[in-house]
Amino acid sequence: MRRSAWLVLLGVLAAACAVPLDPPPSGPPDGDEPPRRGGVLHEASGEDPRYLDPAKGYDTVSWGLEQMLFNTLVDYDAGTNIVPELAESWTLSPDGRHVSFTLRHDVVFSTGRPMTAADVKYSLERLLRPAIHSQGAEFFHGIEGAKDYIAGKTKEVRGIRAPALDRIEFDLTAVDPLFLHKLTMPFAAVVDREAAERFGDEDFTRHPVGSGAFVLEEWVYGQRLRLARNPRYFRAARPYLDAVEVTIGVSPQLAWLKYQRGEIDLAGIPSAEFQRVLADPRYRPLILSRTTLRTQYLGLDCEVAPFDRVPVRQAMNLAIDKRRLLELIDGQGVLATGILPPDMPGAAPVPGYPHDPPAARQRLAEAGLAAGFATTLWASRDEGSMRLAQSMQEDLRQIGVRLALKPVDFPALIEAVRHPGIVPLFLLGWEADFPDPSNFLTVLLHSRSRDTNNNTFYSNPEVDRILDEADPLLDPARRFALFHEAEVKIMQDAPWVPLFHPAGSAVRHPRVRDYELHPLRPSRVEGVWLAW
Amino acid sequence: MPEAAPTGLGSRRRSRRLFAAGLVLVGALGLVALAAPWLTAYDPDAIVVATYRGPLAPGGGHPLGTDTLGRDVWARLAYGARTSLFVGGLAMAVSLAIGMTVGLVAGYFGGAIDAALMWLVDLVLTMPSLLLLIVLATIFPPSILTIPLVIGAIGWTTFARTVRGEVLSLRERDYVQAARALGASDGRIILRHLLPGVTPGAVVLAALGMSGAIVVDAGLSYLGLGVPLPTPSWGRMVSDAQTYIAVAPWLVVVPGVAIALAVIGFNLTGYGLIDLIGERRT
Repeated sequence: MRRSAWLVLLGVLAAACAVPLDPPPSGPPDGDEPPRRGGVLHEASGEDPRYLDPAKGYDTVSWGLEQMLFNTLVDYDAGTNIVPELAESWTLSPDGRHVSFTLRHDVVFSTGRPMTAADVKYSLERLLRPAIHSQGAEFFHGIEGAKDYIAGKTKEVRGIRAPALDRIEFDLTAVDPLFLHKLTMPFAAVVDREAAERFGDEDFTRHPVGSGAFVLEEWVYGQRLRLARNPRYFRAARPYLDAVEVTIGVSPQLAWLKYQRGEIDLAGIPSAEFQRVLADPRYRPLILSRTTLRTQYLGLDCEVAPFDRVPVRQAMNLAIDKRRLLELIDGQGVLATGILPPDMPGAAPVPGYPHDPPAARQRLAEAGLAAGFATTLWASRDEGSMRLAQSMQEDLRQIGVRLALKPVDFPALIEAVRHPGIVPLFLLGWEADFPDPSNFLTVLLHSRSRDTNNNTFYSNPEVDRILDEADPLLDPARRFALFHEAEVKIMQDAPWVPLFHPAGSAVRHPRVRDYELHPLRPSRVEGVWLAW
Repeated sequence: MPEAAPTGLGSRRRSRRLFAAGLVLVGALGLVALAAPWLTAYDPDAIVVATYRGPLAPGGGHPLGTDTLGRDVWARLAYGARTSLFVGGLAMAVSLAIGMTVGLVAGYFGGAIDAALMWLVDLVLTMPSLLLLIVLATIFPPSILTIPLVIGAIGWTTFARTVRGEVLSLRERDYVQAARALGASDGRIILRHLLPGVTPGAVVLAALGMSGAIVVDAGLSYLGLGVPLPTPSWGRMVSDAQTYIAVAPWLVVVPGVAIALAVIGFNLTGYGLIDLIGERRT
């Protein structure tokens, strides 16, 4: 026991080096005063936006800034409902293949030029041009004539018409229940045609001109970015802020320290500090948290032995203790029993698999693998993923599965999983592009998607048939019922071990008001104001 | 930069005490490594907390607390000693084998062979070793065997140079000349007459090199290139916990202290041996 006493002494001495949690920046608490105009919001970013050209930039940093500079025809409200933005109203033809928008009359670009339907048409055709290399072009291939235009056969897209200055019409080759959702994406943002032509495809990203609440004032690459209020913005009295300043090259750790010193107004909470921050009453009113449309999952390559057998895949589902994984992310999320996040429209409870190691062992025995087997889990090498991976490694050890970990860089991981037969197991997450079940089920699990995002190479003709039937349906009730049926079947086949649906979280400076996290896209700041 | 010749610990009494301290540290390290299963009730890889709510502070059933996954830190530290000693020991064995062979051959034969081998030594020395290590550790899939082999394959140059220098002087000694006059073969002279002469110096270097290898292993583990997870490794323990330094400093301090003690132990032992050999010679 004396030995252990020495150890405890060493441990306690080391523990005594702990630094108490610094307080957040302080100030008067939130009241019910009206929004105040003015002030500069300070933010930090690890890296520069890749592009400020909305046809190109779809990473979180770029997207967050693009939606300050540009607008789309329609947008989401605080949730996942579609609301008008540049469009005042729209109508859908009975056959679902023609959409017609009436545009607002008061929209001007930051250059002072009024926006017209011709700019909308130009922006979408620009996106489709092969020279732009937009990863978003494929979302609009369903517009009549888009493929001919891409192939260079026509000078314009037949299916995008601008019959009047305030009218824009789309003809689709087939019914597309997601078309409005696609128009909310940054790819469909309306750019100033004159500016885009003047600066060209390469330079527009440095000189972005749109109709958004802010204009780009300064971008010193690798250092800082400043966006100033657009005085011509069409929404009266918005934005409240004079400017937004983003300091670039700030790691999450440094951002946290800068936040505590009051140098930046918003920051993520480092995983190491999460428990203390949650328990601290000074921080509690400043924490922002929001469930998102994300699923973190373990993907099993259904073509690689032994995961080509359903009982083995089910055993993996039964073996993994998801509750503990959720604890490791500080409880910031909800357990996943199925594939769709619970906030996804159309999501219904799926039975899923309990944590039941004896049952898992039994499934392995059924598959003739009572002695277990060895396999490799590929995961991103960041600390968070490695913690989750080690926890699962330990769970699988309990049922005789010897799991080797292969930590790789994230870009290498998403490249490797696309090739059949290389990655038996992988840890990845998927974040919805649209609030629709097809964005998970069809995109990730239809056998047609095996060259793109179906990285488990799962293939079930019955599931394919249900998805094909559901995809074009406009009636939500029937559509969602079919997707649910497909999801239940997929979970029986178990190509995934769905782990959890992580929540987004951040802390704000007490002066920051009306800043909200969004389930689908980066937060918008035009309604944000500073109390002092 | 020329390498300074290792020197001893100073006055005789002081040096004996420090040597003893070094032996105690190394002995303790060896004991912990050997007896790890009896020193702790926990499996180093097992998650032992029922509910994870951040790392547990030292005390209670966990003398050094639990880590960022809810594993027992003392268990990981004790088993980590095995990793450090194994990696350090194997790396040194590899370095010794290559270095002594090159040194003996170069020193004994001299001439073109010597020039060629010393050119090779210089070539290896000119390469930035950490970079080379990172490249090699990326090429060969990290395992408990490849890591020490890689460290050993880079660290042999000091041995080669020192042994060669020693051999240059030994081969002119009377007993070597006598052996040669009696018609002993080159192999016999090298193995029976030169090897015993250079061994004490090489052992000293090995003891000193051991601490170097432990640090290199810790460094590679810190960069995520060390032995694969979940094998406990002190360097990895430090790197995994670094963001927790304000919250749970024991996670960083404890393996950090362990690395420091191991390095001090091997260094004191090495320098003590130098004094000991010096005393015997004079």
